[in-house]
Amino acid sequence: MHTAKSLFIIVACVASNLLVAQDKFEKESRIKREDVPAKALAFVDSLQLNTRFKWYQEESLSDKSIEVKFKFNKIKYSIEFDILGNIEDVEAELKPAEMTPAVLLVFVDKLKTDCSSYKIIKIQRQYIGKKLDLYNLLKFNKMSENLVVNYETVVRCKQNSKVAMFEYLFNEQGKMLSVSKITFKNSSHLEY
Amino acid sequence: MNTKTIIWAIFFLIAHVNIVSHAQSSFQIGGLPSLNLNKKLKNDWSINARVESRLRFQRGQINGAIDKEFNYVLTDFSLIAAKRIGLNSRVAGGYLIRFEDGDIQHRFIQQFVIVQKFSAFRLSHRLVTDQTFSSVESPEFRLRYRISSEIPLNGESVDPGEFYVRINNEYLNSLQAATYDLEVRLVSLIGYDISDKFKVESGLDYRVNSFLLNRTRHSYWMAINFFIDLK
Repeated sequence: MHTAKSLFIIVACVASNLLVAQDKFEKESRIKREDVPAKALAFVDSLQLNTRFKWYQEESLSDKSIEVKFKFNKIKYSIEFDILGNIEDVEAELKPAEMTPAVLLVFVDKLKTDCSSYKIIKIQRQYIGKKLDLYNLLKFNKMSENLVVNYETVVRCKQNSKVAMFEYLFNEQGKMLSVSKITFKNSSHLEY
Repeated sequence: MNTKTIIWAIFFLIAHVNIVSHAQSSFQIGGLPSLNLNKKLKNDWSINARVESRLRFQRGQINGAIDKEFNYVLTDFSLIAAKRIGLNSRVAGGYLIRFEDGDIQHRFIQQFVIVQKFSAFRLSHRLVTDQTFSSVESPEFRLRYRISSEIPLNGESVDPGEFYVRINNEYLNSLQAATYDLEVRLVSLIGYDISDKFKVESGLDYRVNSFLLNRTRHSYWMAINFFIDLK
């Protein structure tokens, strides 16, 4: 879950287009380079990318992880590591037109079913695989067939005249893996 | 225009107002404690109860006599009901009662707020109209616009146990007894998110008014705000 770090996220499952939700808390804090696990730092340094890296620690009720965010060749990336610094996945932001057409078709069909109107806010392609394959992807833009590719999307959706934000996760075959409702943090101090 | 540009523009505007308004200007310095209680209700309704007091530590003329006597100035109690009408927007209406110098003022408030989430900060736009009535002054009608930003000091969002900066800039157009006035406010606060339901903020609330009437008044309030969300 990279796209909604700043938010409380309700993890939901879909049954007959009804979203049944369960609360999940995630906290993200910026960390210094010195506090990054050596393995994670070594991986990022080995990429030798001339860009600025921002390091974060993520905490949920059950898990902790490390994440680095950066922009390279005008594309926003994030790499997630476990707390020991072992790489878990890479995410790259993309435009709807860059999505695999078959997946986009299924995705749009799903949105038309779920929402009376919608707007796609953000799409990320998620790559899960071995360290070497992820390294080759980032360094040489070389795609290994061993990599698992998913699409993580954030959508503004109107349902029953109520508007909400959702996060959909699809695999490359167009199968929906999960949908989460995103709720915004308390903003009373910004309103009164 | 990015946030830095906006903040610099605000500072230059305030500095400009300060420079052009130093002739015949007065000032006051004090404290502005407030407590906000917010409660979510059914069907996207919520209610906000607020109490705010004003305490004056000193006042006087710039380059003139200064009165350093402590004064309790006023207390406001307000109750506002809000309804969420969009993903991040609310309309609200309420009532404020002010106790000042043994007199009572009644204010009716209508507001629209939209909160935008960006990757590294949140921004809110608030548009308010209010009407104030009392037995000692002519009715006052105001149109206010406030832009407010919340900038996390750790990470991309404010989480429990983290600090943030809040900067507000507000413009208050006032019409009273056929006299128009403009008040400009610039507020800079450091906040601490104790939990998602409890925040505390403190900082400087600077206000300048009556500069169009050539009797500029600068107010410097040390604000401390508590925001509590009730279950």
